[in-house]
Amino acid sequence: MRVKIFFFATVREYVGAKTIELEVPPQTTVAMLKELLVKKYPQMAATQKSIIAAVNSEYAADEILIPTDAEIAFFPPVSGG
Amino acid sequence: MVYPTITTITKLELDLDALIASVTLPSTGAAAIFSGIVRAKTERGKAHETSYLEYEAYEPMAEAKMRQVANEIRTRWPLVEGIAIVQRIGRLYPQTPTVMIICTAEHRDTGVFDAARYGIDRLKEIVPIWKKEVSPEGEFWVEGEYIPKSGE
Repeated sequence: MRVKIFFFATVREYVGAKTIELEVPPQTTVAMLKELLVKKYPQMAATQKSIIAAVNSEYAADEILIPTDAEIAFFPPVSGG
Repeated sequence: MVYPTITTITKLELDLDALIASVTLPSTGAAAIFSGIVRAKTERGKAHETSYLEYEAYEPMAEAKMRQVANEIRTRWPLVEGIAIVQRIGRLYPQTPTVMIICTAEHRDTGVFDAARYGIDRLKEIVPIWKKEVSPEGEFWVEGEYIPKSGE
């Protein structure tokens, strides 16, 4: 299945893109997608521990399953204000 | 009675008077306001100077999370009536307001001060906005410390 992924702040700079589309197998979890991305973008490994994931605009822990046509985002802890 | 809730990410200059007006009702007698401002000189911690801050946001999620913060405020302080949460993004120079949180109520002893404080604290935990600090010494991304739980 196809997913759309957005990157922000440090993660966007490490990856070198704001958004990508990726084909992933069904039953992919957030953790599996992170691993896939670190293989594709080894620079991401540096910040992997503090990378936060959102699936369809909700915070999503590692074990969360990614639904079809999901919009995913990866980013560091937020710093608005 | 449906009370006004304003949640906005904007690139435009923040207009405090207009924002207060948007959460002022016939019943309003108090407004607690917090505004964050770009600080040119930082003394606390590692002393340094700031040339400007560059903000970015994951806009649809940021606005959804701002609405969630407003809902949390309403649950905790049921006497709060109007709520405005507005974050300016883009390049912001020292002495510029970056964020405004306004909570209105009939009277000042309704929790409005605490509600506005909660609004800015919670924005800094769960609303997906980031800032890069640019100084004469170089630039670095500011990172928060909070890791939200699933669905938070």
